[in-house]
Amino acid sequence: MTELRVESLAKRFGGLRVFQDINFTLPEGGLLGVIGPNGAGKTTLINVISGRQMASAGKVVLGGRDITNQPAHAVSRLGLARSFQQTNTFKSVSVGENIARAIRFGGRGAPVGLNRMMDAFGLTPRLAEISDKLPYGLQKMLGLVMAFASTPKIVLLDEPAAGLERTERQSVDTFVDIVRKAGTSVLLVEHDMDLIRRMCPRILVLDAGVLLADGPPAEVLARPDVIAAYLGETEEAH
Amino acid sequence: MRIKLLGWTEIVALLLLSCGFIVPMFTRSVLVYSVLNQAFVGVIAAESVWIMLRMNLLSFATPAFMAIGGYTVAIAGQYDITDAFLMTAAAFLVPALVAVPLGALVLRLRGTYFVLVTFVLSQIMQLLIFETPGLTGGSNGISGVAPVTLFGAEMGTNRLVLEYACGLAMGATLITGVLTRYFRQHFAAIEENEILAESLGLVVWRYKALGFVVAAGVAGLAGYSLVNMLLTAHPSSFDSATAVDFIAYTIIGGRLSILGPVLGTGALVYATNLFGTHGQYAQGLYGVLILVVVLAARGGIVGTIAALWRRVS
Amino acid sequence: MDQFIQAAIIGVSLGAQYALLALGFTLIFGILGVVNFSHGGFYMLGGYVAYSCVAFLGLPYPLAVLVAVVATGALGWVFELFLLERLVDDHLATLMLTLGLYLVVSTGLLTVFGPLSMEFAFPVTGALHMGPIYVPRENLIVLVVCLAAIAALWLVLFRTDLGRGLRALADDRAVAMAQGLRPKLLFPLAFAIATGLAGLTGALVTPILSLSPNVGDPVLATSFLTVILGGLGSLEGAALAAFVVGIVEAFSSVYFGGSIGALVLFVLVLLLLVFRPTGLMGRPVRGA
Repeated sequence: MTELRVESLAKRFGGLRVFQDINFTLPEGGLLGVIGPNGAGKTTLINVISGRQMASAGKVVLGGRDITNQPAHAVSRLGLARSFQQTNTFKSVSVGENIARAIRFGGRGAPVGLNRMMDAFGLTPRLAEISDKLPYGLQKMLGLVMAFASTPKIVLLDEPAAGLERTERQSVDTFVDIVRKAGTSVLLVEHDMDLIRRMCPRILVLDAGVLLADGPPAEVLARPDVIAAYLGETEEAH
Repeated sequence: MRIKLLGWTEIVALLLLSCGFIVPMFTRSVLVYSVLNQAFVGVIAAESVWIMLRMNLLSFATPAFMAIGGYTVAIAGQYDITDAFLMTAAAFLVPALVAVPLGALVLRLRGTYFVLVTFVLSQIMQLLIFETPGLTGGSNGISGVAPVTLFGAEMGTNRLVLEYACGLAMGATLITGVLTRYFRQHFAAIEENEILAESLGLVVWRYKALGFVVAAGVAGLAGYSLVNMLLTAHPSSFDSATAVDFIAYTIIGGRLSILGPVLGTGALVYATNLFGTHGQYAQGLYGVLILVVVLAARGGIVGTIAALWRRVS
Repeated sequence: MDQFIQAAIIGVSLGAQYALLALGFTLIFGILGVVNFSHGGFYMLGGYVAYSCVAFLGLPYPLAVLVAVVATGALGWVFELFLLERLVDDHLATLMLTLGLYLVVSTGLLTVFGPLSMEFAFPVTGALHMGPIYVPRENLIVLVVCLAAIAALWLVLFRTDLGRGLRALADDRAVAMAQGLRPKLLFPLAFAIATGLAGLTGALVTPILSLSPNVGDPVLATSFLTVILGGLGSLEGAALAAFVVGIVEAFSSVYFGGSIGALVLFVLVLLLLVFRPTGLMGRPVRGA
């Protein structure tokens, strides 16, 4: 039973509030989307849940165990992986070595579906290439594959589609499909509304550090306050 | 996945060092012995720097741990403890044990702050030696340290001292080589992208602490070798400024493989002796070479040779 | 009591010298993020340039000091512009570069001037007597010049556009650049100001202490001590810590002798680094 429960979570930098009173539960095997305008605190939320930054208040509970403010490696060892918004790989070594390190550091062996994922992204024939030499989109996908290769129970994705070509964004769908087939639940922070609409049965809307809405996308995205806070701005931008 | 304990670079390094056993068959030159002895001490100290540099941590603390190793042996000698195996173990273990609590403190720091704290550690050790004359002989040091004994036989001749220094250097290389080879992935991941490594579940502090403790032990062996060569433990042997030399050996030799500290030390100790009695001028050479390596040849001597080799073949 | 006042005066005058060194050092760290291992080298160079001007060119001492400031500032400017600038974001590389420069400078001085101390005497001698307390005139002059230099630096940093620009770069480089500040111009200038200050200190102090090619190491160690105590990158902290270090050093040498004072300071600095890397004054840490 591995559900992720976030209770009254808050983060402040000095006197500056990044977010507060965040509550949600991600059930085992679930998929939850998180949207919100730039600066809404989405990346910081991922950083706090994954132990990269300290929470100011509230709790993060993973499978019944309080993991609030545990160091990042401990959170990862307990089965919570994350991806990064920018490309983030070991740049000087090969694709294969990157994936090997992810498997080894995770300490749980390779996950089911890893080979299929690498095939789907076209990484299998490029295992020997230095990761820094890959095109941007593939570097980003490699970052996702590494998060999955540590065999997590939950994976937090920080804008996986950002910076990808429209044609490349289908890979994110593929990623989420394979990850969920392996029984891993997904928290998807994303800017791309199409992606959110077609993938997520339930989404959270974060605006200026507070949880504005929680529910199915069709319902939530029709709410006037959500439209006012967020949609007007991004629909034009995309 | 198969994890190798030693790669070809470590084996080449060990073969190069084994010249300490071969050279005495051909010459009895005091100068050659002295240069080799210095090089063996330098190699061990440079390997200590190199271990930390594998994790992108530059340490100025080498002389401090050398002092702990060196004085441990010198003080033990005053109690007629001279057995080579016992002394080697003590010279490694005492600084390593001291490094455990120190590491817990200083490894919270990264980058520039780690450099500064190791610099401060060296200064503190220097001052501690002067302030504890009862234990360390203060500014006079401890002279007349008894030569080590191997199976009860005294290793007093120049040749035996050299061979013993060579053995210590090979031992230190073996320890350094096995550590960095066995945890190659971990160290490399920390060097390149600590945050990513941690997010994948690598317990970064554990490897840093391990590296710090072993580096301290290896530095202790260097201090032991130095005291054994001079038969004196003197504060000037562990001057904090010598940290710069060991860093120079490592960076100029090349930080990419263990051949870097070995070749760098060999080349620079040899070059220093070319200056004869004006050894202090060698510092200028180190300075110029450091500038060249940082600006134009990041891989140092070993990296440059490797690049040339790739171009030829 | 006389001894106490005497120690206090020595402490303050040491503190003023350390403040000049530490302000330069912390300026470089704050603005460029570089730990300048060549700081002691510029101090020595300042001393030797001033000495050469007096001994070989026959210049009056005040002019020689000025030449020393310009020469060390110019070398710092060139070094930053042509070497350091290329790798300015790689802290390990810049550290090695300044270390390399220090080795080259000190060996260069050794080669030209030899290993022995120079006979470089302060042009003013004698002492002021105030009852049982006496203060050497040379110390007094050095103190006044150091304080004047600190005041001048303060004016530049806090009352001019240049200073505002430099402080903005130290606070947040990205924001400062977005506002149109140009690091390519300001970095070499900041480095030159700092090395010029080190040169000034060297030119002023080496005639009183000593001038030989190995006086740079303790200068570097003291600069480290002071800026860590004051909080890396903090100007106010460095100035305050310099006087703390100077006074502690003076009192411990008068009352305890030996190096116990230095030992206490270094241990304090070690603990500060580990538990409060922002130093006494407190300031956000960069790069840690």
